[in-house]
Amino acid sequence: MKTIEVKKPSGYATQIGPAHPALKEPVMFSLDIEGERIRKADFVPGMAHRGVEWMGMRRNCIQTMYLAERICGICGITHSISFSRAVEQIAQIQVPNRAHYIRSIVGELERIHSHLLWAGVAAHELGFDSAFYLAWRVRENVMDLLEYLTGNRVHYAIIQIGGVRRDIVPDQFPRIEESMKFFEGAYAKLAAVFLDDTTVQMRCRDCGVLTTDEARELCPVGPTARASGIKKDVRVDHPYAAYGDVEIEYQTPDLLTGEVRGDVYDRIVTRLLEVKQSIGIVRQLLAMLPDGPLLAIPKPAVLLAKLKGVAGEAVGRHEAPRGEVMHYVRLEAGKDEPAAWKVKASSYSNYMAWIPMMEGEQIADIPIIAASIDPCISCTDRVALVRPDVRQIVTKEELHRLSVEKTRRIQAGLAK
Amino acid sequence: MNATSLLLTVAGTLGMAVFGLFAGLWFTGLDRVLAARMQARIGPPVRQPFIDLAKLLVKQNVVPANAIPWLFNGAPLLALASAITILLYIPMAALPGLPVLDLHGDLVLIMYLLLVPGLAMVAGGLSSGSPYATIGAQREMVTMIAYELPLASTVIAFAWKLAQTDVDHPFSLATLAATPLWTLVGPIGFMGLLLLLATMILVVPGELGRIPFDAPEAETEIAGGLLVEYSGRNFALFSLSLAVKTIVVTSLIVALFFPWNLTDFVAISCCPYLATAANAAFFLFKLFVVLFFSVTLVRISVARFRITQVVDVYWKVLGALSLIGLALVMVDAQIR
Amino acid sequence: MSFPMVPELLGSLFKKPNTNPFPAAQLPPTVTGLLEKVGKGEASLNPPVPVPEKLRGKMTYNRETCIGCKLCLKVCPAHAIDFIEGTKKIRIFVSQCIQCGQCTEICPKQCLALSGEFLNASHDRYADELVVD
Repeated sequence: MKTIEVKKPSGYATQIGPAHPALKEPVMFSLDIEGERIRKADFVPGMAHRGVEWMGMRRNCIQTMYLAERICGICGITHSISFSRAVEQIAQIQVPNRAHYIRSIVGELERIHSHLLWAGVAAHELGFDSAFYLAWRVRENVMDLLEYLTGNRVHYAIIQIGGVRRDIVPDQFPRIEESMKFFEGAYAKLAAVFLDDTTVQMRCRDCGVLTTDEARELCPVGPTARASGIKKDVRVDHPYAAYGDVEIEYQTPDLLTGEVRGDVYDRIVTRLLEVKQSIGIVRQLLAMLPDGPLLAIPKPAVLLAKLKGVAGEAVGRHEAPRGEVMHYVRLEAGKDEPAAWKVKASSYSNYMAWIPMMEGEQIADIPIIAASIDPCISCTDRVALVRPDVRQIVTKEELHRLSVEKTRRIQAGLAK
Repeated sequence: MNATSLLLTVAGTLGMAVFGLFAGLWFTGLDRVLAARMQARIGPPVRQPFIDLAKLLVKQNVVPANAIPWLFNGAPLLALASAITILLYIPMAALPGLPVLDLHGDLVLIMYLLLVPGLAMVAGGLSSGSPYATIGAQREMVTMIAYELPLASTVIAFAWKLAQTDVDHPFSLATLAATPLWTLVGPIGFMGLLLLLATMILVVPGELGRIPFDAPEAETEIAGGLLVEYSGRNFALFSLSLAVKTIVVTSLIVALFFPWNLTDFVAISCCPYLATAANAAFFLFKLFVVLFFSVTLVRISVARFRITQVVDVYWKVLGALSLIGLALVMVDAQIR
Repeated sequence: MSFPMVPELLGSLFKKPNTNPFPAAQLPPTVTGLLEKVGKGEASLNPPVPVPEKLRGKMTYNRETCIGCKLCLKVCPAHAIDFIEGTKKIRIFVSQCIQCGQCTEICPKQCLALSGEFLNASHDRYADELVVD
């Protein structure tokens, strides 16, 4: 007699991405689904590797500054601050105080711009296009302000190694204050739309939860960590630029809602609170803006000559809108270009949080969960395995072995 | 049926089809412009849906390799044909000869026919062999089951109330058009009817697959769902059927809740043609008002629901609302 | 139940849209025809959005004062500047320039500057107006 094996319905596998309307940049989610529910989630990055570091190591430090700015289209100043902080440490350049303040002001304006952009994208992922248009309409004001201050809407080109390239003069203060007033009004409006709307609450409350314990294990950074109740912010923990001089607090969602749930809603709350915080910081910094020069070494030719003579390695950090960004730079005497340049974008630390967030949720929640950590995929991709016919998983040991081999190769090259 | 009436019916059918397509596309354009203005955008010109249609018709019609071609190509035709068919049963303004198939159908038939375009989309989605379309088709079926409860309760309330008043055909739409229910009920029944109206207003986005009930198509989740594999002529047919369905569903609400003509309020006696034209214009105006509040305003002021939430909203919230409405209409009849 | 977006939406229905319009609302049949009409006063164009005075736009180059020191080539991040050996002058490719203005700072003779001109789109990346020399 034949026995018939009865199989349990096993669900199906599907994938979202690398090209999909929910994802603004290429990353692939492979999902194990039962009905609408996600049983297991995994993601495959590495589809937008641009070789920025390779290019940077073939240009001198001033040129690399502008390349660093172009790692991300949204947080341009983030990468240039981190890179220049690393180089300044190596060359022991003392940045003037006024430059520190201007760096922080532009950094905070960029945070407002980035969070508003994110709010729009998140609303679009929820199918709430009116909120998307509203958020981006407000964002237009901060873009105009940045254009007014730096001369450009996106890549500000205001940072120079050893200071900043453009001043903020008292004539410009009224225009900045006007924008700050506008943002205060807009904050109230956006907070009402994003936090009080019933449908947004239905979609975001208790969806994509990252508990405090999970967050502690996975070490996300920025708003993703703070929304799960982890108090972590480079501006507070290791003050740099002018952040040591201002009052600044960890923005966790319990400041507004009284509790930390670690869901998508909390991540919206955190980002909105940070917009409000940034308005306050810009005002404080403007009030205290010290006098003084803008650049430690005003002549770029002199700066280049000095950088050619120094050797050493350093790490520059900055709290980007998405979390901590880290640049490792090594300079060698007699060489214009950095001998090594390694960029750790904030999304790199946040990626892994996707998996616990997605498991157990519905297909419908993938776009908003993916967007909720504000991923910046092409900033993050550092490695691409170009072997299309072989799906290869590189284990930790293998990766370690490859890194050791590479280091030995570099050292052998240096010894020659 | 003699030859003349047959000829009239055929001519009427063609006329209604043309009217449905034109009015549907035009109202779609109006919906887009108004939505854009409310979002502080300029938006497309009102004739944009016509431009889109012309563009789709010259585009290549791709049939995926693992689709079932006859079903994949047949589904859009079925959707459009069934949408136009419903139009033949719905009373519009007090125009001579309308509805075309006046004596042959009633509310129950319309309820069944309303399902056909949706089913055609499901068939098309399932036959297109794409995982996204399959998810979309499953969601569409769930949505159809979900909005049926509030829709049915409303229809039952109307038929029940009319049956009480000893008319000949309580389920007939001609009767409905002739007897506005608001005038037959007391204050409690009036409240009940208001609840039913609110329910129907929110059934419309589900019928038409608009936000917040557009889970079957959900652009950012499943990339267009049901319609993901459709292109060219087939996609044009689906968008036409959606346009006609817009007219169908809004005129159903008008017929149920606002059957009055302009000539009921203002006496236009000088010329019968003028009165007819005024009634037709008034009908279009009523359609516009219903469309604005049930589609345009709803779809831009909320976020999209998950499919489980669609069912929750339709069964728990709107189902309860419509049943309360039905109960109030019944209570009202007992009191009087 | 709360839908805070609704009053905002109904309010903007009666306000002017926020979009910056194109010079002409629709693509005209012929651009030159439209411009002729504008010249005659029969049609009007929407004015461009005002730009801040310190906008970083297209490069300008003073050929006479340039001494051919090649410092600008050294700092240009985008390699947008070419040195012409024969004349000892430079040539800037606007399509490649990222308008950072680093060259204007390093130039010892101040012969490079950024202008406010920002409409630099063209079909040809080597078009005359996109090569400054």
